[in-house]
Amino acid sequence: MIPAAFDYVRASSVNEALDLLAKHGDDAKILAGGHSLIPAMKLRLSQPKIVIDISRIGDLRSISQQNGKIAIGALTTHYEIESSDLLKRACPLLPEVAGKIGDMQVRNKGTVGGSCVHADPAGDWPAAMLALDAEFEIAGPNGNRSVTAKDFFVDILTSAVGPGEILRFIHVPATANSAAYVKFAQKASGFAIAGVAAVVDKTKKEVAVAVTGVAAKAYRASGTESSLRGVEPTADSIAAAAEKAADGVDPLSDIHASADFRAHLARVQAKRALWAAVSRG
Amino acid sequence: MKIQATHEYNAPPEKVFTALIDPAVLQKCIEGCEQMEKTGEDSYDAKLKIGVAGIKGNYTGKVHIAEKKPPESFTLQAEGNGGPGWVKGTAKIQIAPKGKGSELRCEADGQVGGLIAAVGSRLTEAAGKKMLNDFLRKVGEQL
Repeated sequence: MIPAAFDYVRASSVNEALDLLAKHGDDAKILAGGHSLIPAMKLRLSQPKIVIDISRIGDLRSISQQNGKIAIGALTTHYEIESSDLLKRACPLLPEVAGKIGDMQVRNKGTVGGSCVHADPAGDWPAAMLALDAEFEIAGPNGNRSVTAKDFFVDILTSAVGPGEILRFIHVPATANSAAYVKFAQKASGFAIAGVAAVVDKTKKEVAVAVTGVAAKAYRASGTESSLRGVEPTADSIAAAAEKAADGVDPLSDIHASADFRAHLARVQAKRALWAAVSRG
Repeated sequence: MKIQATHEYNAPPEKVFTALIDPAVLQKCIEGCEQMEKTGEDSYDAKLKIGVAGIKGNYTGKVHIAEKKPPESFTLQAEGNGGPGWVKGTAKIQIAPKGKGSELRCEADGQVGGLIAAVGSRLTEAAGKKMLNDFLRKVGEQL
């Protein structure tokens, strides 16, 4: 559990971090909260030659609201989201998801940006960000660009943040829609074997349902969404729609859960998440 | 760990088959393949740096092509040892004509051991699927 030798440098601004990334290329890794990178380094699964610590860049650790949009700095910890009064009021799905991540130590140190960029297929955030149609603001050598959640989570451990780039902010809409996140977690790690985020717009009769932990990357359950489009969300219509929560996906299989079991859990959790969201509204 | 993949190509089975048993093509299409050296008929030694995102390991391994039935099928046997553990696998590859091109079906059965199996089992299948699909896509680019 001792990492291979590496150099450490602390960046005091995004631009400084980008310069360091440009200089060191593949040899460098960005350190945010360190709750994915450090374990991988201790196991020597990851052996960067240089670690660029961005955790002290203050302006990336903030939650603010402007014109109906909420900007969350990439370095905001899970706990800061869980305990944010602004988010509890304006986007309660995020505090709910944050409170279900890992354990207290992980929530105190781990960051929302680090977790999203790491793109673990069992991470909790991808489900929430997909269901909210979040936008990711990425800084690179040629300035900033914006990527929507559906294009941000590319594949297993692969996000849209390219080499030489850094995630700065995540933008989510302030929403009066009722939402819920439920998951079946792996006991030891708390990682989602199947986690479902549901957002219900009762006036428009639209729902957004996103599933994490089931496939190589989190996805929107489009079959479930379309069967509830324009339909009153009742126990029966939700149950029927939730049956489609794993349609068209290729579920993972590992020692914790087979592919069939994962698909089953996606359907069950989709039903529970939708029902919980509807009951809250 | 069983992984299945299918891929469609705009080239006839003969062309796909020839590409897949050509070490030069294999080296280009296997992400992180640094060296491939012929050690005997259809047998090669390979040096690979493979993994997903920041989690990569160096492996040295052997690749053997067996049960060749041009142009419709062959078996690829591979094993490798490296820092993060060992991998061993067999892939049955079938190529059938489809329209003007062809369709490839791959059924791979692999085992992993050592560190990656102990701590990475949650991710190995998904990582394996991604690597296989990336490989099949790149073969298409070489045709």
